[in-house]
Amino acid sequence: MLERIINRIDALNQRVGNFAIWLVLAMVLCQFLVVLLSKVFGISFTQLDESVWYLNGLIFMLGAAYTLLKDRHVRVDMFYREASPRFKAIVDLFGSLVFIIPVAFMTFGLSWSFVLDSWYNFSTSEWILEQAEGIPSSLPLISPFKSVIWLYCLLIALQALSIAGKAWLYLSGAATSYNPATLEK
Amino acid sequence: MTWLTPEWLCLIMFLTTLVFLGLGFPVAFTLAGTSILFAFISLGLGFIDLGLFAAIPQQIFAIMTSKVLVAVPPFVFMGVMLERSKIAEDLLENMARVFGSRPGGLVFSVTIVGALLAASTGIVGATVVTMGLLSLPTMMRNNYDRPLALGTIAASGTLGQIIPPSIVLILLGDQLSNAFTEAKTAMGDFSADAVSVNDLFAGALLPGLALVGLYLAYQYYVAYRWPEKAPPVDKADLGEIEGPFWKYLIKILIAPLALIIAVLGSILMGFASPSEVASIGALGAVILAAHRFTPERHLTYVLAAISFFGLVLLSNIFTLRVDRTDATPMDFIALAIAIVLTAVLLYGLYHAFRESFRQRGREGEPILVEVMRSTLEISTMVFVILIGASLFSLMFIGLHGDQVVEEFLSSLPGGTLTALLVVMLVMFIMGFFLDFLEIIFIVVPIVGPILLQMEVSPGVTMSPVWLGVMMAINLQTSFLTPPFGFSLFYLRGVAPEEIRTLEIYKGAIPFVIIQLLMLVILWFLPSIATWLPKMLYGSPIY
Repeated sequence: MLERIINRIDALNQRVGNFAIWLVLAMVLCQFLVVLLSKVFGISFTQLDESVWYLNGLIFMLGAAYTLLKDRHVRVDMFYREASPRFKAIVDLFGSLVFIIPVAFMTFGLSWSFVLDSWYNFSTSEWILEQAEGIPSSLPLISPFKSVIWLYCLLIALQALSIAGKAWLYLSGAATSYNPATLEK
Repeated sequence: MTWLTPEWLCLIMFLTTLVFLGLGFPVAFTLAGTSILFAFISLGLGFIDLGLFAAIPQQIFAIMTSKVLVAVPPFVFMGVMLERSKIAEDLLENMARVFGSRPGGLVFSVTIVGALLAASTGIVGATVVTMGLLSLPTMMRNNYDRPLALGTIAASGTLGQIIPPSIVLILLGDQLSNAFTEAKTAMGDFSADAVSVNDLFAGALLPGLALVGLYLAYQYYVAYRWPEKAPPVDKADLGEIEGPFWKYLIKILIAPLALIIAVLGSILMGFASPSEVASIGALGAVILAAHRFTPERHLTYVLAAISFFGLVLLSNIFTLRVDRTDATPMDFIALAIAIVLTAVLLYGLYHAFRESFRQRGREGEPILVEVMRSTLEISTMVFVILIGASLFSLMFIGLHGDQVVEEFLSSLPGGTLTALLVVMLVMFIMGFFLDFLEIIFIVVPIVGPILLQMEVSPGVTMSPVWLGVMMAINLQTSFLTPPFGFSLFYLRGVAPEEIRTLEIYKGAIPFVIIQLLMLVILWFLPSIATWLPKMLYGSPIY
């Protein structure tokens, strides 16, 4: 059961990551197009300029859980590197449950009104799509962009569960080795 | 608990965070998690109010929409692409061929390649690993003095942090610009110019080159004082040079130099913002990589590069606006040429990308996909640490930790110099245990605004560019200093068993001394850092 949940979560974040890496390419190309058009031909599109920072934000908000899955978030590994798998599993179990999950819940809760307010205008009772402040003719994408914070919280909380699960399987003796990045049999 | 003031809690939070970080859980989440933990404790004790929490989503959103940090992914992309395409390996091999037959030639070539790579990438570990794997065996085989060889590799690998464009400088620039605005506001000056990443790039260039010069001078001295430490190498071991010496040198250097000129030139001329320059560099790296994979397409890629420089030239001479009404015939001709050049450039890029998608990398995926994956992981790591660190700073300031630091720094005898020395020493020691990311994101927001209000001479406050360069060199030194320096760890990881760790330490020490010397020189001659940005951008803030 636990193994199935872990596999599902890992597969989900792997997919999100496989999608997000293409945003890197899109961002680089977009930014180059901006330079080419504006510096050489004197043409500038607000929407294109904006796309670059939208893409940048998406890259790491979507990539956070994927990077966690790949265990590429930097660690202070003075002790961790040489430590026993048992120590590693305990640290990761502790960190996932005490750091990541509360942080994800807190951030989700705190951003509740921050995100909703950008979708809904309470004084006129209308659904809205917020634009970037003070930028005329900008893309009306601020509301979905702010909502990405929720997605970020959800994805890292799930991945933390997966790591905690892997650590638990090892500590309880159900798995013979421990690696936060893959489920070992 | 009357003794438990917010200030004490702040200290406890700081120490707890250090302990938790030491356990080895990912830094980004440890910082965020500990901050949230202490936020609840402070809330329970009535030290902070709920309003502080409301700032959290706004801070995350501010990072998501940062205009400066947009430069991080494209620069990382550029560095990873150059690394995966093994251009560094080629350069090292060729440079050794050119210089190896002279005394000290191999250490010179490592230093020069280190500087060249520094100017085009800026990822620390990769350079040390590459040079350790490639140059160290050659130097050992040819009886080079081991500490000299090891120190050279470890030190040259850290040059990437100080020679622009580097990720360290981008992040420092971003944090310093906030700190500078804060300092000026606190001093009642609301109209001060902002300091930009480009300012810091320009400021770091001369000190970076000066360091390269000092390294070379030291190596030259050793090679001529003790010739047995760096003997000339038999040409047969290195491979023959085709054609005359200078021609060969130009041939191997032209491609990397073109990329460096495109990137550094765009920055120094103020032609584009850091992220725009980064995108140029990223695509340049794709072309360079493709050129290495398929030399038979040489002409396509050379023409693309020439077109790029042609476009820069044209757009500087003419105003090529498509919607102009007062255009002269000359302008039309220029516009037509620009369109042709763009087409050539895009054609070259198309082939370069196709090639980078066709070639397989070390994990069996197309090179392009591997580079994107690696870029995503590295950039995400940077940004998520920034989110975690911003929570930490929020709590630190919420508990008045910044005031304690300010009181402490301003109460020190000796004024600005002592305050700066203390901050530098703290950063130096933190550099043994933490990555540059955490240090920059945590230390600069707290001490930056305080230091930048201090006077270096009567009536003159500290220059943010100068402070940034000092901090960057300081961190670089820290990563080079035995026994904990990161660079030394990387080198230990790839050096053969027979190399003793003590030899690595011994080799690093002269370079650490050179670094410290550079810091002293900069203290007495700050204009080495501030002259170039002043010349180029003419900003009055320095």
